[in-house]
Amino acid sequence: MRKGFSQRTEDSTFELNLAPMLDIIVAIVPMLLMSVAFVHLTVIETPVPQVVEKAIAAANEKNKDQVQILLRVSKTGGFIYTVTDKAGSRDITIPNKGTDLDLEGLQKETLTLKKSHPDVFRLELNPEENVDLEKIVQVMDKLRTTGSNDVKITFTDVETGKPLETNLVFPDIVFGNVNGG
Amino acid sequence: MRRRGMKKYMDKRSPSTFKIQITSMVDMFVILLVFLLKSYSTSPVIITPSEGMTLPASTSAKDPVDSLKLMVSKSGVWVEDKKIIDLKDGAIDVKDVDPSDTQFIRSLYTELDTQASKTRTIASKNDTIEFDGKVLMQADRGLNYETLRKVMYTAMMAGYSDVKIAVLSKD
Repeated sequence: MRKGFSQRTEDSTFELNLAPMLDIIVAIVPMLLMSVAFVHLTVIETPVPQVVEKAIAAANEKNKDQVQILLRVSKTGGFIYTVTDKAGSRDITIPNKGTDLDLEGLQKETLTLKKSHPDVFRLELNPEENVDLEKIVQVMDKLRTTGSNDVKITFTDVETGKPLETNLVFPDIVFGNVNGG
Repeated sequence: MRRRGMKKYMDKRSPSTFKIQITSMVDMFVILLVFLLKSYSTSPVIITPSEGMTLPASTSAKDPVDSLKLMVSKSGVWVEDKKIIDLKDGAIDVKDVDPSDTQFIRSLYTELDTQASKTRTIASKNDTIEFDGKVLMQADRGLNYETLRKVMYTAMMAGYSDVKIAVLSKD
């Protein structure tokens, strides 16, 4: 009786044949290794939803000659906004925080400025020659969006007249001084 | 007597075939597969930053598009893996810029113009290709705007006015 039970337990164990599975994995791994991106690279541009994108393009066209926003970036002098609109031209300065550029101050001031010109999306960026690329990219990041999905800017679509919401602030940034400006 | 002993030994001996224990190997491959699937890129353009160059990090999430590759490191400027000029600690040598226009890098312009002409020639014979003036610039984060401005200005003069800056994704 005892012997019979022992015999049954031994029979119930079995071994999986993993060889075909290994074959598949060995075929997939080289293929994935070929197309793997260990470093995820992107480019500086903001994905804009189709409706908002059209409205931004129309707003840019409308405001091309009416409102101009220019931002100078200086390592020593901080940020200087020059806003040219119907009322004339005025400067807004955001001084440095200690020895470094005040990026938080820039974002705060940018949002205030955006509220007064919600339908302007183009900004001319003029960094000084000694500003490094890392700082320029950080500045562009602060200018591109509101920094939070909860903070939205409402503007009116030029073509439909309907209000639209977006968290984009200045998605269209151009280096204004590239050609010697 | 000797024969009987040999037979006894052969009978007692374990069979000559054996099984390799592949369970642990499959485990290892499954882990590797999961890791590779996580880092699998669906982007049509895969860029590998060169050694000694650190790209700036950004919150931008736009995938790179297939365009002319321009690389600016602290040691030189490359167009599609071809070194055009040498830089000394990120600065462009005076001999490389045009004396009448200090923003203009002559040798870079020549190469970019050649590339632009090549694309235009292909575009004239193939409707699916068009010259859109897009250039993907990989630049070291420590480079100052003075150098980048000269490179961008020269690219613009050669017809590449749509400069896209390659950045590392922060996400």
